[in-house]
Amino acid sequence: MNVVKKLFKAREISSFLCLLAMFLLVGLVNPSFLKPQNIMLCFNGSIVYILIAVGMAFVILTGEIDCSIGAQLGLAAAVCATFLKNEAPWGVAILLALLVGLVCGTINGFGVTVLHIPSIIMTLGTNGIYRGLIYVYTQGKWVENLPAGFKGLAQTNIFGNLCWFFVMDLVIMLLVFLYLRKTRHGKRFAAVGDNEMGADLIGIPVARTKMLAFIICGAFSALGAVLYVSRVGFVTAISGNGYEMKAIAACVIGGISLSGGVGTVAGATIGGIIMASISRLLVFLKISSDYDNTITGILLIAIVVIDSLAQRRSVEKARRERLAARVTETEGGADHE
Amino acid sequence: MNNFGKTMKSKLLSWEMLLVVVLVLEIIIFGQINPRFLRINVLMGSINDFISICVISLFVTFVMITGGIDIQAGSIIGLTSITVGMLWQDKGLNIWVAAIFAIVVGLLCGLLSGFFVAYTGVQPMVVTLGGSFLYSGLALAVVNMSSSEAYEGIGGFPESFMKLSSGNVAGIPNQLIIFIALIIISYILLHKTKYGRYVFLCGVNPSASEYSGIRVKPIIMSTYGLSGMSASIAGLILTSYLGSAKSDLGATYTLPIITAVVLGGTSNTGGKGGVIGTAIAAVVIGILKFGLNMSGMPSQYLDIPVGILLIVVLTFRMTSSNPAVVAKFKKLTGKK
Repeated sequence: MNVVKKLFKAREISSFLCLLAMFLLVGLVNPSFLKPQNIMLCFNGSIVYILIAVGMAFVILTGEIDCSIGAQLGLAAAVCATFLKNEAPWGVAILLALLVGLVCGTINGFGVTVLHIPSIIMTLGTNGIYRGLIYVYTQGKWVENLPAGFKGLAQTNIFGNLCWFFVMDLVIMLLVFLYLRKTRHGKRFAAVGDNEMGADLIGIPVARTKMLAFIICGAFSALGAVLYVSRVGFVTAISGNGYEMKAIAACVIGGISLSGGVGTVAGATIGGIIMASISRLLVFLKISSDYDNTITGILLIAIVVIDSLAQRRSVEKARRERLAARVTETEGGADHE
Repeated sequence: MNNFGKTMKSKLLSWEMLLVVVLVLEIIIFGQINPRFLRINVLMGSINDFISICVISLFVTFVMITGGIDIQAGSIIGLTSITVGMLWQDKGLNIWVAAIFAIVVGLLCGLLSGFFVAYTGVQPMVVTLGGSFLYSGLALAVVNMSSSEAYEGIGGFPESFMKLSSGNVAGIPNQLIIFIALIIISYILLHKTKYGRYVFLCGVNPSASEYSGIRVKPIIMSTYGLSGMSASIAGLILTSYLGSAKSDLGATYTLPIITAVVLGGTSNTGGKGGVIGTAIAAVVIGILKFGLNMSGMPSQYLDIPVGILLIVVLTFRMTSSNPAVVAKFKKLTGKK
């Protein structure tokens, strides 16, 4: 009973219900949407989004933001694909992509924690820089003709046509979830985002935690890049463009508050699935997928506005209850006299 | 107080003077690299490349002074452009009527986001992120409603509309005149009226302003409306310059706009700033991109220097306002 109660109080549950409602509504209009095969395809579409949303969750939990992961993903993907094309061993290509992500994340973290530049402006700047570097690195050309074996990784399915990358994502998410919720070290991220001064006073290294968040975010976008390369099969200079906004939207839809400290990676994962499913939903509703962005925008604004109003209401309610309790207390005291 | 005001003014003036010096240096250096750059018609023509950034950043300054941020302006450009094209081609409206409609659309888009920022307390970043999705999606929806293909755009506008970007008055290009007019309007609005004072006060301390009887919420909302409207004006100029209405114009403008505002001396935490600085900074960035391009740098690379510029400026400002660093610096110079 307690567990169920706790579950319903969790912020992710509203995003999960939102996902469920979306699927059911579309299922009502077009029942073939609810076939397991199709739902698995929705999941397959979200493998990159989930990873970058989980990475982004670290940064947002600490109260910062990273607007550069789209370019980080693109740069890591370009490096990974170029090495694959030149017949480097897969491991080398993947490690180099990760290295790119780590370096990009470190630069962001350095700007935010050491130079004290506001994260949104720092990462807007680095987004432009990294994106420009992709053009420099690829000379604006497409990176294609990748080894078929590597592309085949994303086509390898388990359980019908569910890609094994999705299961890997879920495992990674679960590990991160446990790390953030159950370990002392992992709890630091939310603590810093919730109350920076307080975290500092109880001895949490605030700057180092934020730095780590940016580095982890970079690593996750690099990992996302590897999956992107395998799934899409080619990389262009605009690969990953706008993914930063999708990742932020996924986190917000998943119930992570941009003011920091609130939310879980499970929510981010659900948000990622929602973001990836919207265009597919539209296809089944026989609406042009051009409306993808419109729906995303409406969903995003609606969710945050409702959330904010609900929060304000609960704060008001708590205050009224406190007040009422105080009033009855004094009344009780008067009776005794 | 008076003294304080004076020092503030001199400080700001010096920052703006610095920007002017940077601008002159830029022109001299690029002139050395490529003498063609110094021709007056080339310089005047270059404004076509960055006029949108100049116009929008003027009014995004208002938003950032209230402590907000606006990352949706780019998508309003596209929405305006395709709206004006659609109204003119499919609905047969007069082009200027269509233009006024488009400006109203931009204003409404801005006000909608502003409403959510001001009245629900959601962070401006999230709201304008949602707005950028929404308005770019709406632009595509408008394309679907119209009879033309999305990738082609709508072209063949009347001569009078094309004059908006190609004509000139006494040798000064029309869009430069529009820019100067908007600088004057925004300067008066921000620095010479009660409304402008309120905008600053909302940025310094919203609750204190609320208690002193300023209606903070409508003022915050209005700044987003202004920035949406300026994005529409930029969209019109851009449509006229390119000769075709497209839904994806301006998608990459967020970085240069924010850079211009921050480089112009507006504080990202609100309460400080000015439009003159923004105007000069926008031109500095525009000339930098244009000059680098003329010196042979491919245009796709141009976000690298802009991004570096943004970070360097902020590093400089953050460290110079950090008391520990200032003390160290004084010690160092003192020892010398």
